[in-house]
Amino acid sequence: MHNSKLRTVLFFVVIIFIAAAVSGVIRLRYCAQCAAPPVSGNKQQPQRIVSLAPNITEILFKLGLDDKIIAVSNDCDWPLEALDKKKIGSFWQPNLEAVIACKPELVITLWFEQQNNVANSLKRLGYRVLTLRLEKIEELEPAIEKIGSATGQSKQAKKLINIINMQLKQSEQKFNTPTKPRVLWVVQPEPLRVAGGNTFITELLELAGAQNAISSTSIQYPGLSTEELLTCQADVIIQAAMNKETIESQKQESMVFWSKYKNLPAVRNNRIYVVDPDTILRLGPRIGQGLEQIGQIIHQP
Amino acid sequence: MNSKTVTARSVATRAAAALVLLILILLFCTMTGSHPVSLKNALTGAGDTQGHNIDYEIIFGSRLPRVLLAAIVGAALACAGVTLQAILRNPLADPYILGISSGAGLGGALAIMLASFLGSWAGVSVSVFAFVGAFGTVWLVWFIGHFATGRSSATSLLLAGVVINAFFSALIMFLTQIAKSYQLREIWLWLMGSITEKSLVVIGASAAAILLGLVGLFSIAQRLNVLTLGRAEAQGLGVATARTNLIAFALSAFVTSIAVSLSGLIGFVGLIVPHGVRLIFGPDHRQLLPLSAISGAALLAVADTLARTVIAPAQLPVGIITAITGGPFFLILLARYNRKVSWVK
Repeated sequence: MHNSKLRTVLFFVVIIFIAAAVSGVIRLRYCAQCAAPPVSGNKQQPQRIVSLAPNITEILFKLGLDDKIIAVSNDCDWPLEALDKKKIGSFWQPNLEAVIACKPELVITLWFEQQNNVANSLKRLGYRVLTLRLEKIEELEPAIEKIGSATGQSKQAKKLINIINMQLKQSEQKFNTPTKPRVLWVVQPEPLRVAGGNTFITELLELAGAQNAISSTSIQYPGLSTEELLTCQADVIIQAAMNKETIESQKQESMVFWSKYKNLPAVRNNRIYVVDPDTILRLGPRIGQGLEQIGQIIHQP
Repeated sequence: MNSKTVTARSVATRAAAALVLLILILLFCTMTGSHPVSLKNALTGAGDTQGHNIDYEIIFGSRLPRVLLAAIVGAALACAGVTLQAILRNPLADPYILGISSGAGLGGALAIMLASFLGSWAGVSVSVFAFVGAFGTVWLVWFIGHFATGRSSATSLLLAGVVINAFFSALIMFLTQIAKSYQLREIWLWLMGSITEKSLVVIGASAAAILLGLVGLFSIAQRLNVLTLGRAEAQGLGVATARTNLIAFALSAFVTSIAVSLSGLIGFVGLIVPHGVRLIFGPDHRQLLPLSAISGAALLAVADTLARTVIAPAQLPVGIITAITGGPFFLILLARYNRKVSWVK
């Protein structure tokens, strides 16, 4: 069949063309890899640092690296100086191109799928990347240590760690009361979702001399049935604000919402609070202050 | 249908023209981004120190891999859509209709949740799990459709697909319930579909595999034409329907599985591209398949360029772009469907 022959020839031409293009690009890449030295810049003290996460940015500022931070993620909002830094895309989807354009000597990322993609691409191009796991309080100290040694600020890092540990210890002692109030930590009011047992929030609550009103669950942030809610006997309800600007109005709404559950001690005693989760829940240098805030809320007379 | 008569020469001309257009579009996409670059400077090579030639790194390290990846994923999804619409004889069929999406989603979600245990393999495991999930699920659907119901018809396949989709979606929902909050977001973003910068080795290997699958599909194009007439007619015309179905199904499952393992679930490309091409150039698969491949590649490359530039330096998942632009487009197609498109050749 004349038709099919011509067609076959055409398709193979296309295939060969595309294959050639792809292999050409691959070769280009490999040449680049052989030619390029691994990392440029000052290895001990990188002069151009890019941070992809809010808590990393906070740590970098605390280590006195203000003028070496070239760019941060769109979500980095503390300290206020971070707002003036160049942006490289959101925490959840950093923009590789924008990172490269900063000519970074060190890029610090957190360990999860979307950032790992960017980190791997950067490593392939020969950039120096530091990836940190930062999900529990106990991971904060090694993370700060690693950032310190990667940026030549080990001394500062030690100091920062000591300060944080001291703050945590002080708060822990201060709030170490014999009775442990039961705290219900609300992540989202409707539909109701709360912090379960096996979370960073429970850790914080325990340090603040309280206990999570929800006993350990395999689910981290479970939805709660009315039945469970009514039997949890929460003394205090703390609700993480969805939006910093509207904390007041969220307070009003939560009053209305919770008034349905009069038999909860927290509702009877009017112990419902709306807090800004960014200052309290960000696992960074301000964790000590966050703990202090929670403790004061919980142990209010 | 005289304007849509398909001869070898007309197919060759159109495909060649489309290919040239595709290359121009890909070039344009490579040159577009949040940061201005000079191609001339980029072509001088990497330079001798890191960060020496930003243009080179942005084009060859970031943009080109993305554009190429988008192109091969788009081509795969579009051709799989064409094929499934043909063998299921259902205009609403798309690459995900037989459970691939939920299978891939389950695989991807599992990999993300197990990331801590997989350690340094975590980077590739999402792709591998998604591929295994997709390819496994689609065969599960095939066997349920064929053997559990005791007869092989498009309807039983579709029903099996719907059931498996529902079941696996429920499993994904369960996983998201026990996931940590940051994993939840990872899963969610992955499910929406994103083109990310993979290494060129990965892209080259996947491109080779997908192109192989597409060539396979092109080679059975004439038989797909006959299949759309219906099973009895096809058999009457001497086409082994069961075998053709199986080959077409296997090839489209293969290319779709690779596509989803690379990019997550990007919707609508596999639905609107086949319909758009069919509307303009007619339903002959010998032409429909290559032109859909090229259009799918162009569409997804452009969509991804939008995704990375619209709110730069932040990015959108490309699945959002394809769905937002694809939805209205598809409605227009539906409205004109009866008038313009004849389903069989």
